[in-house]
Amino acid sequence: MQSAKERIEVMSDKVLFIDLDNCVRCHACEIACRQEHDLTFDTKSRWCQVMAIEPRWAENELHMDFVPTMCFQCDDPICAYFCPVDAISRSEDGIVVVDEDTCIGCKLCIHGCPYGVMFYNEVKGVAGKCDLCTSRIQHGLEPACVQHCIGGALQFVTREELTVLTAQKHTVSVGTVSYASSKWKLTELF
Amino acid sequence: MKFEQGCCKRCGQPFLSPKTLRIVLKRAKEQGQEKYFGDFELCQKCRAHVFAERLIGNRLEKVERFQHIAKRRREKLRTVQRDTRLGSTVYKSECFTCNQGCDALVHVKDGKVIRVEGDPSSAVTQGTLCCKGLASKELLYHPDRLVHPLKRVGKRGQGKWQRISWDEALDTITDRFHEIEKEHGENSIVVATGTNRGWVRYINRFANAYGKQWMGPGIAQCFYPRMTGEILVLGSSAIENPQYDHTQCMLVWGVNPTNTWPVKALGMMEARSRGAKMIVVDPVFSEAASKADMWLQIRPGTDAALALGMLHVIIEEELYNKEFVDKWCFGFKDLMSRVERYNTSKVEEITWVPGSKIRESAVMYATTKPASITQCLSIDQNADTISTSRAIAMLAAITGNIDVPGGNLMGMPLKEQPRSIEMLRGYLTKEQNEKRLGSREYPLLAGEACVLQPSAHNHAVWQAILTSKPYPVRAIYCQGSNMIAGYANTRMVIDALRSLDFFVVADFFMTETAKVADIVLPVATWMERSSVTRSDQTSINNFHLQQKITQIGECWSDFKILNELAKKLGFAERMFPTDEAYFDFLLEPSGMTFEELKKVGVISVPYSFKKYEARGFNTPSRKIQLYDARLKDLGFDPLPNYREPTESPVSAPELAKEYPLIITTGGRVPVFRHSELRNISILREIVSELLVSINPTTANKLGIYDGDPVIVESPRGSMEAKACLTEGIDPRVVQVPSHWGGKNNVNRIMDNESCAPIIGSIQHRCQLCRVRKNG
Repeated sequence: MQSAKERIEVMSDKVLFIDLDNCVRCHACEIACRQEHDLTFDTKSRWCQVMAIEPRWAENELHMDFVPTMCFQCDDPICAYFCPVDAISRSEDGIVVVDEDTCIGCKLCIHGCPYGVMFYNEVKGVAGKCDLCTSRIQHGLEPACVQHCIGGALQFVTREELTVLTAQKHTVSVGTVSYASSKWKLTELF
Repeated sequence: MKFEQGCCKRCGQPFLSPKTLRIVLKRAKEQGQEKYFGDFELCQKCRAHVFAERLIGNRLEKVERFQHIAKRRREKLRTVQRDTRLGSTVYKSECFTCNQGCDALVHVKDGKVIRVEGDPSSAVTQGTLCCKGLASKELLYHPDRLVHPLKRVGKRGQGKWQRISWDEALDTITDRFHEIEKEHGENSIVVATGTNRGWVRYINRFANAYGKQWMGPGIAQCFYPRMTGEILVLGSSAIENPQYDHTQCMLVWGVNPTNTWPVKALGMMEARSRGAKMIVVDPVFSEAASKADMWLQIRPGTDAALALGMLHVIIEEELYNKEFVDKWCFGFKDLMSRVERYNTSKVEEITWVPGSKIRESAVMYATTKPASITQCLSIDQNADTISTSRAIAMLAAITGNIDVPGGNLMGMPLKEQPRSIEMLRGYLTKEQNEKRLGSREYPLLAGEACVLQPSAHNHAVWQAILTSKPYPVRAIYCQGSNMIAGYANTRMVIDALRSLDFFVVADFFMTETAKVADIVLPVATWMERSSVTRSDQTSINNFHLQQKITQIGECWSDFKILNELAKKLGFAERMFPTDEAYFDFLLEPSGMTFEELKKVGVISVPYSFKKYEARGFNTPSRKIQLYDARLKDLGFDPLPNYREPTESPVSAPELAKEYPLIITTGGRVPVFRHSELRNISILREIVSELLVSINPTTANKLGIYDGDPVIVESPRGSMEAKACLTEGIDPRVVQVPSHWGGKNNVNRIMDNESCAPIIGSIQHRCQLCRVRKNG
């Protein structure tokens, strides 16, 4: 077992790097996530989803792109503003956490998340979202989506590694997530 | 800003109350977050979608791909271990949700499977597992699983069943089979198999030991043609085994591994991340095509012409490996004169692929060393599958990419490896071999000329059931196959199955096919059985342990059902007394028992290359056979040639006036395996309905909008689907994914009579149809 101090270091050190060049829409991340967090069908919760931008023409070439989406752990999480009972907070390791005991299931945070990555767990009656597999990371594992990513699009890397990986690519970072592409000039969100 | 609406501004679905929206907007304004206002009017799914669209944008500014392979966590292999995090016991096993066999870890807590994950100790899968495998727990505990044997009590297909014991089930099968054999002769019973889950050879042996012919949907139109083609040319399989570790160029032919072959997609994406080039041949802009350096959008069914066109370019520009060809290829001059007629302009006319692209891709494949070919199902489903697979194999042959690192590897020698079982073909009499249904028309499938295990032709079997010609077939034993969903010409299949005297189905669920059976047997999933697995389609040099982890109801493993049935039918000595005895037998050459394998977990043999240098290729000339006299003896072209699909705008212009669109079926979605897994709700949620891909230009002419219900018709009948408008398909082509049930079953409109010569492949990828709006 790791000590509490080590744990925090492990957490804060690493970020989720999403290489859009490598996503092949295999949906392994989605199902791995559902299994890891016991998000059965009845919970209606899809914390991780792959969005597709269907075939379109650009410069006489056809392009199709896939974007895995999940909570970015925003630096200034807007969902937290909406919560009437302060159940959402940003932990010291940079993860935005929903306290299930405090949550009253009012769904305001869900409607307030502009990225559509928060879900109301119909079974538990509380809000839920990606926690970057905190429990796995604490045990020295990577998030479930990262382990099972077939294309190698999802990677769990240190900030130093991220700098190297994104140096030559178009990159956009939100919270603890960095998207990169060698094809599209990615757009800063706001 | 409309406050009163509660519908998503993008998709129109109701999603939140106006009151909630008002509160959200008010709070956002208080916090100075007005920039999000537009997003609040969207439903959750559309928000994520809009985010993705906004992120990617539409400014195409390509930069060189940074070469980097994602690092993956590797762990030590343990066949059983404790997981402190979940408090579970973890068993190493082998996922067989499809037919590949990927290393998996199964977590068990309090006697229940709680997780199925990839195995980070695996050199093959590197800890990954696809969405189908990850949903194995849902399959295992599905409430609709068959858990004990059933016998039909109402009329056939009425759905009235009675629970019976295994003893009663096996006794009934034995008695009925004896009766039918007595009344209608020894050939009146057919053993039918489905997908390969490590037991296809076993059921084949069972059929031979029992002295019966066998058949399967995945034989004449999957695997057999491409394997036969390779074996004729190279003497062994090789094109089936691309080696991605060192490859610099990947020619991906008619396969979308991300959906159907994830373990190959893993290797392919790694090679791509390393900087390897990728050429994809596909009529549809697939996920693989979207990652390719070059996409050849081919007219469905014209693969042989494209391969011959590429051979023409390579030979004409002298890009082939002269030394290798001189030393190891037989009949190069004949091939040279054959490909003369396939110049790029002619091939462009046949295949619709621009001549410049044919040339460019052929040059890329021939000059980038080493280069590999990945091929799959689609080349097994056209008008001349043997020519197609031979021509593709010849591309690898004349460029010298055979059995070299980064090329296509030949099968490994069997020394020190678990063995293959004897097929016991000797138990079939000469007469039975000659009388095998389809043996005359399709000698490479059903006759003695077959280079694999001869199998009956499906159309001939249905004919024999329906007309008793050339002799009656009155009973089928079917294991692991949803025949109604899987075979072309559904009406014929249903009529045939319903008119049988006795029909046994072994499956996980009460499928469409099981519903018309007399006896239904419950089968164990991969987590409920042990096995020694090796799948060439996963890795040719690794043998894995699959260990039984749990037991659901009275489900038996496929092996056990066949063993016990053999005991009752009176040929127990030709099979094995138990599953473990069989595994021990397989493992014998490696000097290990199954109990010992349970400790080791995997047997790995290092790759060996250029194996042909020792004793040549396993062909009559000991060389690669570009020209094949064996085919000439069978009355077939000894050189590869292109044959126009039976139904095409070129070969059937009159029919094409009425049915103007080319239909290609069989494109797969990542979440389903053939006809399976559609009842797994978390997977079904991702692809909830059958979509026919149609070009917007065509749809526009037909007055069809995206998402409209449509009817697809052919001279055989009609089926229903929903329209999916996509730029990724030619306006003259539509694609309908296969294996959906009921009215969505595309096989309702597919012809099963005009098959590829000498092997009998159904032309699933190139028939004609028309599409109209439903209602």
